[in-house]
Amino acid sequence: MSLKIEISLVLNETKVEASVGVTESALELLRREFDLCGAKLACGEGECGACTIIVDGRSRNSCLTPAVDLDGRDVMTVEGLWTEKGVDAVQQAFINEGAVQCGYCTPGMIMQARYLLNRNPDISEAEIIRGLEGNVCRCTGYKKIIAAVKGASRIQEGSPG
Amino acid sequence: MNKVIEKTTIIGKRVTKLDAPDKATARTRYINDLVLPRMLYAKILRTDRVHAKILSIDTSGARALAGVHAVITASDAPDGKIGVLRDNPPLKGDKVRCIRDEIAAVAADTEEICDAALRLIKVEYEDLPTVFDCTEALSEGAPIIDEDRPDNIAMQQYFEHGDIGSAEDDSDFVVEGEYNVHYVTHCNMGVSCSLADYDMDGRVTIYTQTQYPFNVKMDIAPSLGAHPGDVRIIQPPIGGAFGSKLDVYPYEPICAILAKKTRRPVKLIFSREEEFVASPTRQPVEFNIRAGMKKDGTLTFRDVDCLLNNGGYTSWGATTPYVSMRTVTSHYTVPNVRYRARAVYTNNPFAGSFRGYGNVQATWAIETHMDRMAEVAGLDPIAFRIKNANYPGEITPQAANLGRVDHVGCILQAADKSDFLDKWHDCKARQAENTRYKRGIGIATSLHNAGGAKIHKSDGCGTMLKMDDYARVTVITGASEIGQGSDTVIAQFVAEELGVPMRDITIINNDSATSPWDVGVHASRTTYIAGNSAKRVARKARERILRAAASYSNVMMENLDLRAGYVVQADDGVVIMPLDKILRQMHFAGEDAELVMETDYYEPPSEPEDENHVGDMSAAYSHAAHVAEIVVDTKLGTIKVEKVWSAQDVGRVVNLTGLEGQIEGGIAFGLGYALSEDLKIVEGKVANPSFRDYHVMTAPQIPEFDLTFLETDDGEGPAGAKGIAELPTIVIAPAIGNALYNATGIRIHHPPMTPEKVARAIAESNAAQDNAKGRTDERG
Amino acid sequence: MLPQNRFPPVITEYVNATSLEMALEALADGNGTPLAGGSDLWAQKDNGDGRIGSRLVNLNRIDELRGISVNNGFVRIGALTSISEILENQELAGSVALLPKVADRFASDQIRNVATVGGNIANASPAADFVLPLVALDSEVEICSNGRDPRKQALSEFFTGPGKTILGADELITAVIFKIPQKNFHGVFCKTGPRPALEISLVAMCLTGELHNGILDNSRLVFGAVGPTVICCTNTESLINGSQIDDELVAGALDMMAGEISPITDVRASKWYRTHIARTFLEQELIVCRSK
Repeated sequence: MSLKIEISLVLNETKVEASVGVTESALELLRREFDLCGAKLACGEGECGACTIIVDGRSRNSCLTPAVDLDGRDVMTVEGLWTEKGVDAVQQAFINEGAVQCGYCTPGMIMQARYLLNRNPDISEAEIIRGLEGNVCRCTGYKKIIAAVKGASRIQEGSPG
Repeated sequence: MNKVIEKTTIIGKRVTKLDAPDKATARTRYINDLVLPRMLYAKILRTDRVHAKILSIDTSGARALAGVHAVITASDAPDGKIGVLRDNPPLKGDKVRCIRDEIAAVAADTEEICDAALRLIKVEYEDLPTVFDCTEALSEGAPIIDEDRPDNIAMQQYFEHGDIGSAEDDSDFVVEGEYNVHYVTHCNMGVSCSLADYDMDGRVTIYTQTQYPFNVKMDIAPSLGAHPGDVRIIQPPIGGAFGSKLDVYPYEPICAILAKKTRRPVKLIFSREEEFVASPTRQPVEFNIRAGMKKDGTLTFRDVDCLLNNGGYTSWGATTPYVSMRTVTSHYTVPNVRYRARAVYTNNPFAGSFRGYGNVQATWAIETHMDRMAEVAGLDPIAFRIKNANYPGEITPQAANLGRVDHVGCILQAADKSDFLDKWHDCKARQAENTRYKRGIGIATSLHNAGGAKIHKSDGCGTMLKMDDYARVTVITGASEIGQGSDTVIAQFVAEELGVPMRDITIINNDSATSPWDVGVHASRTTYIAGNSAKRVARKARERILRAAASYSNVMMENLDLRAGYVVQADDGVVIMPLDKILRQMHFAGEDAELVMETDYYEPPSEPEDENHVGDMSAAYSHAAHVAEIVVDTKLGTIKVEKVWSAQDVGRVVNLTGLEGQIEGGIAFGLGYALSEDLKIVEGKVANPSFRDYHVMTAPQIPEFDLTFLETDDGEGPAGAKGIAELPTIVIAPAIGNALYNATGIRIHHPPMTPEKVARAIAESNAAQDNAKGRTDERG
Repeated sequence: MLPQNRFPPVITEYVNATSLEMALEALADGNGTPLAGGSDLWAQKDNGDGRIGSRLVNLNRIDELRGISVNNGFVRIGALTSISEILENQELAGSVALLPKVADRFASDQIRNVATVGGNIANASPAADFVLPLVALDSEVEICSNGRDPRKQALSEFFTGPGKTILGADELITAVIFKIPQKNFHGVFCKTGPRPALEISLVAMCLTGELHNGILDNSRLVFGAVGPTVICCTNTESLINGSQIDDELVAGALDMMAGEISPITDVRASKWYRTHIARTFLEQELIVCRSK
């Protein structure tokens, strides 16, 4: 039996505790303990971004994040973006713009887009494109995803607060 | 005054994909995410040899490991084989023929225990002589890969039309060329996954990524020793397929055999490296082309010989010549044609089907060759292509009736919008300038089936439709939604007929026990075939409702229409009654009660090829032309594609957003094929099995797109639509190759056009020029 | 990797270090494996190469190892500073703009957000982009261990082979330190690949020096991915230093450089192409210098 460590973290705005394997990744933990399957395992080596989550305000590949290191941190997954206030502007824009085909890369794309917009609400198209470099999509040719991130920034502007 | 509802249409509009909200909020559970009660995990032990006799397999250590529930080898598997030629036993007992080969498999409580168990399995081999090259494999005394086919030929096709010999005599120019296209692989974001569950009566439910739900029953059953009727196929959402899931691959029967052995659900999921090593590739082909023309550029003949590296087993890759042949014989008007293809067994990995199936390869060869011929004829690329373009109603040598095509329109649109000729002449004139960065522009076109492809006795699709008391519609279709947007298009056709909002339509499509038969999602066929079936079934429901409404309202049925949830008068739009009201009246009508439940099976008016490869196998055909404008770094060899103009005959736009998405994504696929994707097979082994070293396109590499849709209004297609999703992937690569030639005078015959390959070709060309100059200087 | 080749590490002890002292203690017996960003360690952890010892020592809560400070003309970058922090640091943007520029060509946002300067150095990948400018800036690595005095080591002498360094199993990189360059400092970074950052460099080059009137002095020419470690082309530097950059000098520098690098052929590129890229980069950047 591998070594287990007790951790506590804020997951999608809720304080939670978990017992995690010392070699476990954050991606494995989210699925095993919390039944959160939005983050996808697609390469396991940080090359595709399908597992992107936001930890303490920074996007990262959950497949390369040691679960033990989430202790005390603030973690946001794609499931946390849809609240009773409605879906996130990024999610809505992905739906509106046709940025979703097979959808497997979508949660990671949305989290990275959320990160980009959190850092810079007025992000330019060139910055969006560079910001999505670590996220692979095999279906869309990226155009509609880029349009969706732009669209999300417009939806945000129009929304109160 | 009565409410009036104007007639509107949802065809051609921007429609939100039905699956997008659940996918964007991660409510969707993909096959990779599924967990069944008491489920076990499975893993496969693969060989590390490419051709070897298996002397022994010792699984005792693995069996003894705590948490292991079953370990299987060939001796535990039924005799049935899989693959197009049924030459692939899911587990190998006597010998291995390629690096993917499955030796044993384990089912255990966790994936970690599976991994540990695999490491405890001991295999003894005796290496056999290897062969990796087609020509070598065909030579006398070559190692035999499949003992049932000692000549190493897996499949071959031959077609001849007209008289090549006299056509060659009549030709003013004959141009020859060799074009070798490479290995690439699908890189679905969702890796291969299967989940199997047996019941006590020996019936198996397989959750799979298949694109072929009804044929897969037949294809997998022998390897399970099962009756096809006892195989139930469920298709959960998947992370991409692009053709890779047309065949059955060994992991699927292996997973099911483990489920049978353990009497528990078993799930098998690949690692990304395993996906690179053990999932199908695109078929690599060596093309040899000879083609003739008159002085004025009129094509006289085309003679093409192909060698296909079949690898160790035969999957759909070996059948890609059926499509390549269509391109060779029918793309442009060619009066005399000959085509020969041989798929040759080697110790390489084997190829499957892949978006653009055979045509990606053939179009690279034909369109590169056409550009070379244009130069020989002294014509520009546009004039030469228009001179030989296909025309509406053309009957090709293989008896395809091209129907309402617009090849010339595609060429002209792409050329005009890109200002092609001015740029082409200008870039050509600047080739000799001593600048590091050179600009070029190139064009390519292709022809593809756009109304299904009758490769089986039927190319049909069934649909069932019911409406409830609240005018909600349920459509059960045979069609497979794999993210491409078919559910949405099907719902659009139904919404159009029944005058109901999109959100009132539920599409059900993922269980062979409920869905009617369909060939599967391939060959750009779903909008056309399943769309037609959906349209027809909805038409039946519409007529039933209007008939009832006519009798309730005393308005002639011919003057009734369904709009926005109401029965209205067709001529002035005046509302007669809500749709749900008439449905309830029909339902609760005592002795005359009727529920709206309709069925339809649509069989397109196409025919399978005969044994001579003659037959009009698709109900529609279409063209696309791509123009690529590029900048080449002549030092580093990097090609930057700045803009792509696409003009494609789509028949009719159905969902504008979905159409754009398919074409943009298709071009991105083709860009990878052209520029960077290269599955390197070294002595039978995959040398670059990761995204780090196998480069799919990322956002910064995508050029600007200019998309033009030509609406030729196909007579048979639903609302005039044609299939669209493969052409974008097919056409782009040779357009870039031709642009590279325009920019630099360098002609790459063998893709991909990687920086190193381009830099080397330019350096060699410069060195040759310097040498020639040196010799001249010496003489001078 | 293939399931049959997956060897998860056996970790029996986990130390969540909250101070440098605590981390060094945990590393003292040589069985500890420091965990920083994890982007490399976690990707490789199941390789079975024995890189991960029985005790995992998490450094991420040691705040003293984080951050960028400038003192007395020296920049000190804490080992745990992420590549993103380099990219976004205003101080560096003003005084050593080369570093944020290299950071911008490093992997992806998601990796930049976690990958650390110390980790990039300690991994000793011959293709580690971020090491190049630090070597060119004559950086020193600050190394600490339990019970011994901290020591400083020139970064250029830190690497001994692919994945190999002079760092002892009980030692930890705590910072990298370099002098703020002169006002006329010129520094460029070149990297191949159609993907701006995600690409593993086939060849990366960093050229720095004091540039006036088209003449480069005190130059540093450092290459990545053309040898077992980062390569410093000291002979080429001597040739360039103080010389008028004319065609003859460029040709001589290219040939001399080609003799100092030792690229290999692998799945990513051939020896020929790597040499060709290196020549192209150096030629292009010398010509830029000439015109300034």
